[in-house]
Amino acid sequence: MTMKRRTFVLSAGAASGLTSLNALATVADATQAVDKILGQQKAAMGRVTLVIPPLVENGNLVTMKVSVDSPMTQADHVQAIHIVAEGNPLPNVVSFYLSPRAGRAVITTRIRLGDSQRVRAIAQMSDGSFWQGEAVTLVTLAACTEV
Amino acid sequence: MSFIAKVLLSCGVCAVVALGFLAKADPVGKDRQSSYALMSPDTQAMQDDPLLNPANFAVLDGQALWHEATGQKNVSCASCHGDAAVSMKGVAASFPKLSSAGRPLLSLGGRINQCRTEHQGAKPLAAESKPLLSLSAFVATQSKGMPITVNRSAANAAHLDAGERLFNLRLGQLNLSCAQCHAERPGQKLAGNAIPQGHPTAYPIYRLEWQTVGSLERRLRNCLTGVRAEPYAFGSQELLELELFLAWRARGMPLESPGVRP
Amino acid sequence: MSKTSRTLVTMPARAKKGDIVDIRIIVQHDMESGFRHTETGQRVPRDIIRDFRCTYNGVDIFRVELHPGMGANPMIMFTTVATESGTLEFKWSGDNGYASSTSSQLVVT
Repeated sequence: MTMKRRTFVLSAGAASGLTSLNALATVADATQAVDKILGQQKAAMGRVTLVIPPLVENGNLVTMKVSVDSPMTQADHVQAIHIVAEGNPLPNVVSFYLSPRAGRAVITTRIRLGDSQRVRAIAQMSDGSFWQGEAVTLVTLAACTEV
Repeated sequence: MSFIAKVLLSCGVCAVVALGFLAKADPVGKDRQSSYALMSPDTQAMQDDPLLNPANFAVLDGQALWHEATGQKNVSCASCHGDAAVSMKGVAASFPKLSSAGRPLLSLGGRINQCRTEHQGAKPLAAESKPLLSLSAFVATQSKGMPITVNRSAANAAHLDAGERLFNLRLGQLNLSCAQCHAERPGQKLAGNAIPQGHPTAYPIYRLEWQTVGSLERRLRNCLTGVRAEPYAFGSQELLELELFLAWRARGMPLESPGVRP
Repeated sequence: MSKTSRTLVTMPARAKKGDIVDIRIIVQHDMESGFRHTETGQRVPRDIIRDFRCTYNGVDIFRVELHPGMGANPMIMFTTVATESGTLEFKWSGDNGYASSTSSQLVVT
């Protein structure tokens, strides 16, 4: 294949709207999103458990459960949990804001995963510290789609 | 031909022969399995719990439409059919069918539209439209748990045979028939997903791929796109006859509507 | 332009003081991510729920910031401690003036 044909095929691909390859965030985007949450701090690994099925049939609706080991007292509780996806077009997926009124820091929801990836959960504690957990998952696509 | 090419060619030939050897007959009776069984526990749980099932909203919308007076005659479904839990019990499980002798073959959606035009004086709802899918979901769920009752009859025989021919017809650039995947190779993997037997036990479904509720017709068109064939149009005779054959093939299996599928 | 949709809240009607109560909410919304394209290549504009909050007798107990990565028909399961009898209010708001709300009574003994 000559250089000219290769350029033509690439630009034809772009013109037809095949933006999916460019649309996915890089791990760097996700790291930037996490840094924004952390400010100057670091998040220690631990206390946060993120459960996502290791193999997902379809990334459009994936059940995830995040739990943080915390007594949820006035003195020691989770203030926020941020979910960041390394392989989605936008790294920030959802943020939960809790208080001691929660009783426990366990939340289940359903998210979108654009590709196989690592998903991170960052918990912000009442004492100002940050903890994190993660889940790595393989996302498959239906064999027979519309396009 | 080089030696390596000859080896590769004979391997290819062997593979084709082996596949032909392994091709089984279409599962029947108790060997039939709903695609529910192939789903992950998470997705199964999503279908089982009405409060988690994303199609539930469509059912609720359908219930509202059931009670809404419409059309020139300004009547609702309820004004003739009363409580759907009573009047629609078993109805969805009997479709597609001919509404009476000499009448065209109808899917559930087609029958809803026939009611609208003939009894409500209303315009038919567009194929795959939210109102039609919601009404279909509401009516279909009244038959949840009941067996599909589509049987061969003198009236539908010609349509059923046509549907069976379509099921076995090789189509598209990939030159594949429905039978080759769904009758001969169910349970084997295609692009990481298990091939289902293809029984329409849960329609309309919330397909995660669509992120919305859709009909069997939409799903069949996806299959056709999958083999790189021109999809039959919504409401086409081909899709109706295929639907009829699939329902007959799944006769006796319980309806799960509204289902959740990947 | 304001729009609303169905909401479903599942939680017990009664609880003992101090018990942790499980609350499950689901709201009807396509959560159009803004990354989908039509067959003719037009981008479908973003249209999502952005915010969910829950109050218990007027006190904020839980808040969620939703982004396009949240699945359609957002479902969230969370908890709260049964402190006193009263009303839990649930409010969703989002793009294009979207707003839904519902409430649930809790009897605490």
